[in-house]
Parts: sequence; C-alpha cells; structure tokens
Amino acid sequence: MTSEVNSVLVAAHELKAPLSLMRQLALSLQVFDDVTTQTRLCNQMVSVSERALLQVNDLTKVARLEDGLFTMEPTSVRGVCETVARDVEPLFGFDHKSIRIEYHNRQKLAIANHDLLYSIIYNFCTNAMHYSEADATSVLKVSDNNNRIRIDVRDYGPALPTKIWRKLQSGSLRQPTDVAMRPGSSGLGLYIASCFASYMHAELGAVRHRDGTSFFVELPISKQACLFP
Amino acid sequence: MKTIFLIEDDQIMSECIARAIRKSQSEPVELYTFTNGITAIQALNKKLPDLICLDILLSGPDGFSLLNELTSYNDTAKIPVIIISSLDLSHQDLSYYNVKTILQKETMTPSSISEAAVEVLDRAE
Repeated sequence: MTSEVNSVLVAAHELKAPLSLMRQLALSLQVFDDVTTQTRLCNQMVSVSERALLQVNDLTKVARLEDGLFTMEPTSVRGVCETVARDVEPLFGFDHKSIRIEYHNRQKLAIANHDLLYSIIYNFCTNAMHYSEADATSVLKVSDNNNRIRIDVRDYGPALPTKIWRKLQSGSLRQPTDVAMRPGSSGLGLYIASCFASYMHAELGAVRHRDGTSFFVELPISKQACLFP
Repeated sequence: MKTIFLIEDDQIMSECIARAIRKSQSEPVELYTFTNGITAIQALNKKLPDLICLDILLSGPDGFSLLNELTSYNDTAKIPVIIISSLDLSHQDLSYYNVKTILQKETMTPSSISEAAVEVLDRAE
C-alpha cells in the first residue's frame, strides 16, 4: 500500500470517531427532552464538530504547505498559547480535567506562522486532554532554550507508544503510523504537527515520563523588539 | 440494585451510553464508568458487576486484554459482556468470551443500547 493511500485511510479512520459521536449525540437529542441534557448535548456537538473541522483544516493545510503560502513573521508565543488555552478549556471541562499555562521565558516573539503554531499547540493540548487521567491538570509551559523558544505540553496518562516516540526522536514521522490503532492514536495529529514544525524550521519532539508524556516544539526567536507585555 | 461497569475512553461517548442505559432501567442501577481497562480491573477486585459494557480500542491495554483477564477467573468469567466498538467484530471472533451482544458504534442507537442492556440483565436473572 502506498504511503498516500495509507495516510488517506488513517485520516478516514480518525474522522470516523467524531462522526459516530455526532450521530450518537444527535440521536440522544431526540430521546432526552430535559433542557439541561439538551444544552449539554448541543455543547458537546459543537465541540466535537469543531475539533473534527480543525483536523480537516489542518490536513488541507498540510497539502498546501509546498505552495509556501503561510507567512513566517514575528509571532507572540504567549498570545498563541493563551488563545489555544482559552479554546480548549471547555473541552477539558467536559472531561472534568483542566489545563494551566506556565511562563518561564524572557523572549516573547518567535519566527513562526500564527495559524500553524496554533494548530501544533492545539493538537498537543487535545492530545493531553485525551490521554490524561480524570481530574488531572495538563501543563502548557513556555520557556527559553538558547536562541529558541520552547513550548511544552505535559499530560498525565499512558506513555507514548515506543514506535511513535522513536519516529519522533529520529525525525522520521513522515506519515501516520497505523490504521489498526484506536482513533486518536494513529499519530495523525503528530504527523500534521511535524509537517507544520518542519515548514517553520521548528523542532518537534517528545519526552516520555513514567506518568505521561511531554510534547514540545522549539521555535527560533525573533530579534524584533516586542511591544507585547 | 443492578451494577454495571462501562469501560469507554471517550468521555462524551461514555456519557451517551450511560444516559441510554439509565433511561432503560425500570429500577435505578449502579453504573460505574472507567476510561481504561486497568482501573476497571482494579474495581473488579472490590465489586463484581451484573454487566460489563466494553469498548475494544482503549488507551493502554485494549478490550481484548480485559476480556482475557475476565475469562481467566472463575467469578469474572460469568459476567455477561456487551461489546461497544467501531471494529467490525463477529460473535465468532469472541466466542471464547462471555460476550452476549456486539454493538457497532456507527449504527447503534440509544434504544438499541438500552434494549441490549435490558435483555442481557433480564436473561441473567
């Protein structure tokens, strides 16, 4: 099977989960008529569809990377992190989990494309949400690393599969891994993130912990004076 | 009161299934939800449920590991299981285990979930 066909299969496999979920939520709406349940179901439908749409958008962006249409410019890392944290907060809330941001950086601006960086961090965060244990707090940490700004997202769940971790370490994650794995574990999100990171000359990696995983992206800093607080 | 263990790693799907099961029961049920097989196995040491609803593709050890674990002990081997999965599984594949019904995530409805739960629990009585 060619890698393109495999990638399409993985993408289809990944999108089957949110579609099944949407169907189930819509059917539940017909059955449960109390306002509280209906409001919760509607909110869940919105968040599930938004997540799926973002993934489809990211896949189309991957296909357009070669055209070089994504402008690289000084980008406020704090601004992007705060937007992502705000957007994923309701998703964490559904699962009774939470996320907090820690800043340990002096450098404020990185050379990046805002949308691609947003997608990478969003991907890391939804991954952390999915794999963290109930009531766990994931941490989004921004720090300096010589001439680069590093963004880490730490989750508290099962360790990253060795197969994907090795591929990330060696920089050879050129396609999603396996359609036989559960939706969300095929490495599609990481594959998308690695494509975006490579476009931005950023480095993507993961650190395995006994009680979870940290995914990180390191971006070159911008020397431009920063007007952001 | 009947006890049901629901093992599904997607919180929203788990809520949908739990809601459908609760609605179907004429009497209140004790429904415990788990997002992975390990915590479910730990809970089995404290309480044996009347029914287990199990997803197969879980984070960490998959549903088959849990089915094997259940089958390896006398008391847990008797617990009826409803499989709720996106995998295309047949009863033949799972004949070794005490699987009573297989529900496909793509085609199941809240009523098919509740009917399956009622039927399996009634049959066990």
